[in-house]
Amino acid sequence: MLRRTTLAAAALLAAGALLLSACTGETSPTPTATDITPDPDASVAIRLVLEPGNLDIRETAGAALDQILIDNVYQGLVSRTPEQDIVPALASEYTVSPDGLTYTFTLREGVTFQDGQELTPEDVVWSLTQVKENAAYRDSARLAGVDTITADGQVITLTLAAPDSTLLWNLTGRAGLILKKDDKTDRKTAANGTGPYALTSWKQGDSITLTRNEDYWGDKAQVAEVVFDYIPDNQAALNAALAGEVDVLTGFDANLKEQVEANGDFSLVVGASTDKGTLAMNASSGPLADKRVRQAIRQAIDKDAIVAALGAGQTQYGPIPELDPGYEDLSEVAPFDPDAARSLLAEAGAEDIDLTLTLYSGYGTTVSQILVSNLRDVGITLTVNPVEFSTWLNDVYINHDYELSFVLHTEARDFENWANPDYYFGYDNPEVQRLYAESVAATDADAAADLLAQAARIVSEDMAADWLYNGASVLAVGTNIAGVPSINVNERLNLAELAKSTE
Amino acid sequence: MIRYALTRGALLVLGLFVASALIFLTLRVLPGDVAQLIAGVNATPDQLAAIRERLGLDQPLLAQYLSWLGGIVTGDLGVSQLTGTPVIDELVEKAEVTIPLGLMAMAVAMVIALPLGVLSAMRRGRPDGTALSVGAQALAAVPVVWAGMMLVIVFAVWLGWLPAQGFPRGGWDQPGLALRSLLLPAITIGVIEGAMLLRFVRSATLQAVGQDYVRTAAAKGLTRNQALVRHGLPNMGLSIITVLGLQVAGIIVGAVVIEQLFGLPGIGRMLVADVGNRDLPKVQGELLVLTGFVLVVGFVVDLVHRVLDPRQREAG
Repeated sequence: MLRRTTLAAAALLAAGALLLSACTGETSPTPTATDITPDPDASVAIRLVLEPGNLDIRETAGAALDQILIDNVYQGLVSRTPEQDIVPALASEYTVSPDGLTYTFTLREGVTFQDGQELTPEDVVWSLTQVKENAAYRDSARLAGVDTITADGQVITLTLAAPDSTLLWNLTGRAGLILKKDDKTDRKTAANGTGPYALTSWKQGDSITLTRNEDYWGDKAQVAEVVFDYIPDNQAALNAALAGEVDVLTGFDANLKEQVEANGDFSLVVGASTDKGTLAMNASSGPLADKRVRQAIRQAIDKDAIVAALGAGQTQYGPIPELDPGYEDLSEVAPFDPDAARSLLAEAGAEDIDLTLTLYSGYGTTVSQILVSNLRDVGITLTVNPVEFSTWLNDVYINHDYELSFVLHTEARDFENWANPDYYFGYDNPEVQRLYAESVAATDADAAADLLAQAARIVSEDMAADWLYNGASVLAVGTNIAGVPSINVNERLNLAELAKSTE
Repeated sequence: MIRYALTRGALLVLGLFVASALIFLTLRVLPGDVAQLIAGVNATPDQLAAIRERLGLDQPLLAQYLSWLGGIVTGDLGVSQLTGTPVIDELVEKAEVTIPLGLMAMAVAMVIALPLGVLSAMRRGRPDGTALSVGAQALAAVPVVWAGMMLVIVFAVWLGWLPAQGFPRGGWDQPGLALRSLLLPAITIGVIEGAMLLRFVRSATLQAVGQDYVRTAAAKGLTRNQALVRHGLPNMGLSIITVLGLQVAGIIVGAVVIEQLFGLPGIGRMLVADVGNRDLPKVQGELLVLTGFVLVVGFVVDLVHRVLDPRQREAG
């Protein structure tokens, strides 16, 4: 089973994002709507970095779609909170049988789609069945373990052949989205969901506009309109903010804190995220096939210096970030120690080696410059090869043609890539695969997390890759704006609470 | 004259045909394709193959090229592989930004270059003339991106007179806003193109000053300036039109950069995004239209030359 890993969204984060205190995933919360007097006619402009190629939530990959469409426009039976808890959404409640084989959801009544059609239990069964049966749909494999999907009145029942501790989480993502049966909406350029906002316009190359859904089943949105402005460049985004053209900047650079806060109209907000700055090492051939060389590389890189240069985020020494289940502090596995790195390289007979780092050019140069200088210190000559994202996909992801590759993997709970030998990491350890399978099959959340932690430790001890930092969500939020989420906004930007002050 | 236009027109069509083949082939050299981008970092080989088949990417290159060419001949530029929107619709929409931007940039360039170029030639050897000429030289070497940034910081961030980026969502329904948002980008391109044009106007003027007909006119009793305006300008005009024609290509390149910088939803920004997305049918269509535009401008410039210049008319 493969998992969607979203690299692109926070491209500019790596160009220099992240926060002041490098300690933990500390969060400076944004104001809540109760702190201001909301203007019901307000239009809020939010800067985003990467525009999606099309809007097809079923077939087109990329966090750029999840970020704006899930929760705001499309909804599932369940949803996730910024704190990564699972909560009811289109289902008013749900239960899981003790054996973990039967999931029952009670569908809310009186829910309508944005085009006015009513949400029926039949739509739910149809949507989930479509995803399960259509392999071309994103995340289809995540429903592979579901045996039957049936409706009895408002009660939707999913039965499984074996327990799947990831199913509820998967239902908060694309696999669980409920669309209208046989809807004629062109999903590539428009959308029709049940969420608090309707997608009313997409001006390609410029902006996407959401408008309040006046018939929403829950608490209605507190702003009339949200405009997502796509501004790739951080400096241009800063200028737009200072000129009063946007209200919120996402994917911002923590090093620009002083500039953006200078006139008192904005404050920098930093939240935890599951962004993992991953240095993949292709162990299939060459010097990197030697574990000692991989360990030497890990010990040669000064992670604290990287976090300091980014200005936000924290260190991370294993495949699982602090927000996800199975996290454990693995800093002792390969601590920063250039002397140890040099002896390992000598022992491996790999002094004076040349390596190439292939990475998406949108990530900027902050991280790669530190890598070049750290590795030079221990006798490794690193050549940096920045490429277009399409080229990266072709060479590194599809053809596994690389030595080192840096990617900011943004997706939450994506450990399964380490249990999949076909993934571009090329990491193949039967013990890790077994532990992961057991974790999926566990019926107890703590037991599942514990198994993940064991597997993650092995991955780190095998020196399968290096983790350069755990990124932060960096936003600049107008002082007249409330209700902007601050955690993991590259994955989800839930705007249900968004409000703009009348002043 | 008509025979000339016909020959020149045939060359234009041939040029477009060669361009279409070059555009098609060079784009195929790019690694990766749109199917990989749609499938993302989770695709199985089967999923990829299915998407490629759906998009016709599994067809032989020659078949793909001929089908595209067949479309063009019948006036169909194809559709985007990502959104299914006709390429021509997208081009027309984005042209609302790029064509006014180009015209405004051209106007700025001419307003700067014509008077200052003549002036700097007339004042040659004096401090102000030298300053103008050196200033133009320096300005022509300024990177467009840097110039744009500086203008934004001064006029949008400090003074707050003009928008820092973007285009009104209502487009030309709000003409005032639309014009304002194009002003800084147009000045950015226009000043730099104007600096280059200025140097050309200056040397053309200097050349004209030394010509026999100016000297003869002066001998007949005109002042040097009168002689220049009466007899020099029409001669210079021809070569300036040629240079302006060449500058169309420069302005298009400038628009690609400047639309990124100012977040303008024009053809340049669309082109960059489409190359990144490997939406090749769309990129092909866009490049062919741009190439065609530059070729047509060249064609028109040649014809205008023919009409305005009695020497060429007689020779033809």
